[in-house]
Amino acid sequence: MAKVNINVGVNGRWYELAVEPQERLVDVLRDRLGLTGTKVGCGKGECGACTINIDGKAILSCLTLAVQADGKEILTIEGLQKGAELHPLQEAFVKEAAVQCGYCTPGMIMAAKAMLDCDSDPSEEAVREVLSSNLCRCTGYDRPVKAVIEAAKTMRGAK
Amino acid sequence: MNDELSVVGKSLPRIDAIDKVTGRAKYGIDLKLEGMLHAKIRRSPYPHAKVTKIDTTKAENLPGVRAIVTIEDVPKVVEYWFFLRTEKKKKQMFIHDNVVRFIGDPVLAVAADDEETVEEALSLIDVEYEQLPALFDPLEAMKETEVKIHTEKGNIAFHVTKQYGDVEQGFKDADHIVENRYYTSKQKHASLEPIGSCIADYDPSGRLTVYSSTQLPHWSRMYLAGALDLPINRVRVIKTYTGGAFGGRCGLIHGLEVMSSVLSRKASRPVRMSFTREEDFTATETRHPMIIEMKTGVTKDGILTANSIKLVSDVGGYGTHYIGVIANCLSTGVGLYRCPNVDFDATAVHTNKSLCGAFRGYGNPQMNFAQESQMDMIAQKLDMDPVELRLKNYRGLGEIDPVFNDEIRSDGLKECLQKGAESFGWKEKRSKSSAEGIKRRGVGMAILVHGTGAAKGLPDPASATVMINADGSVNLVTAAADDGQGNRTVLAQICAEELGIGFEKVSVSDTDTDSTPLDGGTHGSRQTYCGGLAVKKAAEEAKKKLLGYASQELNVDDGQLGIKDGVIYDVKNAATTIRVSDLMRKIQIEDMSICEQPIGHAAGVAPAMPGYFGASFAEVEVDTQTGEVRVLKLTGAFDVGKAINPANVQGQITGGGIMGIGWALTEELITKDGNILNDNFTDYRILRASDVPQLDSIIVESNEPTGPFGAKGVGEGTMVGVASAIANAIFDAIGVRMKELCITQEKILEGLRSGAKA
Repeated sequence: MAKVNINVGVNGRWYELAVEPQERLVDVLRDRLGLTGTKVGCGKGECGACTINIDGKAILSCLTLAVQADGKEILTIEGLQKGAELHPLQEAFVKEAAVQCGYCTPGMIMAAKAMLDCDSDPSEEAVREVLSSNLCRCTGYDRPVKAVIEAAKTMRGAK
Repeated sequence: MNDELSVVGKSLPRIDAIDKVTGRAKYGIDLKLEGMLHAKIRRSPYPHAKVTKIDTTKAENLPGVRAIVTIEDVPKVVEYWFFLRTEKKKKQMFIHDNVVRFIGDPVLAVAADDEETVEEALSLIDVEYEQLPALFDPLEAMKETEVKIHTEKGNIAFHVTKQYGDVEQGFKDADHIVENRYYTSKQKHASLEPIGSCIADYDPSGRLTVYSSTQLPHWSRMYLAGALDLPINRVRVIKTYTGGAFGGRCGLIHGLEVMSSVLSRKASRPVRMSFTREEDFTATETRHPMIIEMKTGVTKDGILTANSIKLVSDVGGYGTHYIGVIANCLSTGVGLYRCPNVDFDATAVHTNKSLCGAFRGYGNPQMNFAQESQMDMIAQKLDMDPVELRLKNYRGLGEIDPVFNDEIRSDGLKECLQKGAESFGWKEKRSKSSAEGIKRRGVGMAILVHGTGAAKGLPDPASATVMINADGSVNLVTAAADDGQGNRTVLAQICAEELGIGFEKVSVSDTDTDSTPLDGGTHGSRQTYCGGLAVKKAAEEAKKKLLGYASQELNVDDGQLGIKDGVIYDVKNAATTIRVSDLMRKIQIEDMSICEQPIGHAAGVAPAMPGYFGASFAEVEVDTQTGEVRVLKLTGAFDVGKAINPANVQGQITGGGIMGIGWALTEELITKDGNILNDNFTDYRILRASDVPQLDSIIVESNEPTGPFGAKGVGEGTMVGVASAIANAIFDAIGVRMKELCITQEKILEGLRSGAKA
């Protein structure tokens, strides 16, 4: 099948890529760009482990074709840090012991990032609702929810 | 003794957290090696069949195909490490035949340059089968003599009976007898990283390296050496970051590492194989479904007189841990209550369904569901508070657990019950339960005990090496496998505490069998205790050497020296000090006549397998029109001896709590004619953030005298009593006794219709 040329911005850098029309965005990120921080837990949009941000929105990269990302700006977990400095969400996940096995963590953080970019002071219920797109088998969710709320506080303080 | 702890007892951030929040942590599927091939398994579409012919000609000729391996080429691992103990038993660990025993059983695998070629090659291979009659019902399979799932053993994998006291007399002494049959469901680990990802790299000189998420790096290495007929030192297992295990990676994964290794040997290239979520659900191990008949006798004062347990465990097509799981049913079933007369009869039966293995709790949740439902019925019969009934009967401090003949040396159950009940509001909520209205609320509770480690039943080694560097920093070398629990962080805390140095001074080795000494792996809630004891002992030895040098340097008797915050000091003269870093530089580099790095090493088996206690309290709301059960509150109080890292312990309590709610209400692999019908997260429902009730996690510290800083286990126990407490709460709400898991809306409605009272 003929390849399709796309331009995508990933974590602040633009790439020109020739992709198969049926190629999933998650595979392009992981296999071609080596960004394996984005995880695959189910491959059918049920678990949320592959959540990334596209133009600021939380998107499941396993349900997105690479061609759909043409011209768009993607943020993955690897792009969240500023140099050596962790993003407040990353900081809070570490501090609040919200990470156990860590496989759901990048997806959770990216889902939370998109949320906090629109709503800087979400209620606990709203955080739970958003994180309900991200399955976690280890933590019981209380600590990740708390981490997002704490990160929101930090981010509000920094403004 | 614990007053002056400076590292132990603190909720320090885990050592791998930054790797995980930045996406740097590499799990099996994230790894790539130079020249790596991709591989995939073709699986049986039949529940029971003989593979009569495999024609790989067309696939072999497909460009890009590098190796093919079939059922004819590889053995299957069908027992666990207990069988490594003798040559005769070791032979029984591996079977090599052409029979497939469940839908999804591996038949062959292909390695090729890319995944597309693998898929195409798999479709080009012709496989012929001779179908055999299949058995799905364990009770039928037990009786069946013509159809044998395993030729030599038949269908009964294991049968055991044990008697304690005189059960007949015990029932004669009883004023009440409660007798019921319970069914438990086929639960899946559902770790977020699908089970089944590895890279096998068999280099042409005959050395095999396997990157694996196994919970048991050293046992897995021995399994591979046995399966592939290699010396142990020619096999290297490197543990990758692991996305949750819960028992699902307690050994090798059926078909995964062995097939990948043979493919790699044939192709002379590294081979990566990663199962999909569907393969995880349908072709990797699950919790054993059980049928448990329990008859319990009790006096009118609420003293247990007899317990008779008859249990059938559905192993599926292959077993690995089926004997251990039954042994744990015995030890937890007999161990929890001081009942003098017990009969235990258990049978593990093969059926043509997907295989079962280790899963958090290891038989204890199944036993607990039966036992704690019985206790609830007894409390109700006697009109006694269920908490009081437990307090009267549980086996506590100073008593001897008859199964392992071991003394209970630490017991925080009373405190668990008291603090748990208080935090939950047990007394208030109990008095408010009402049987009116459409939505009815009720409360229930359960207690449990779970062993730490396996020292009394299985080979259970732990070892550690502690090396003090020239700048005073420390390398801790251990094969303790961290699947996400945080045990490597806990071991670093124990090491730092023992040495009197800062937590940040300790770094923990990779988990690699080439460079770490023998460890029994991560199972049985054992790493904090068993691994912790080894680390503490190794640190003690390193410290002794360190203080020996300090003694010479400071001219002070080494018995008079202490270390705090990286400074060695004379306890009798606080002015006499030397920094560990200054001393170490001197000993290791400056003084060229010494040049010694103090190293401590410890290896061996823990002296006990202390039971850790817990109590779960649940409040539910049952909708009598729809049958929907909502858990409103779940309180878990656990006696962990000493919480080395309280945040980690709480993480286990809340995580195990919601896994328990799932097992109680939503999680069941549904099989029809051997097919698993719900192989995805939409149809197999684990809890999401919005489903979670108010979770209380309470830590009780009873100070286990044999444990490192008083610690014992916690991980598995946290889910053990949850379903029991929920079923009891449902009874309290609607007066219907649920004896079958999982408790679906249909079962609630059916129960309400038929008035299935206890």
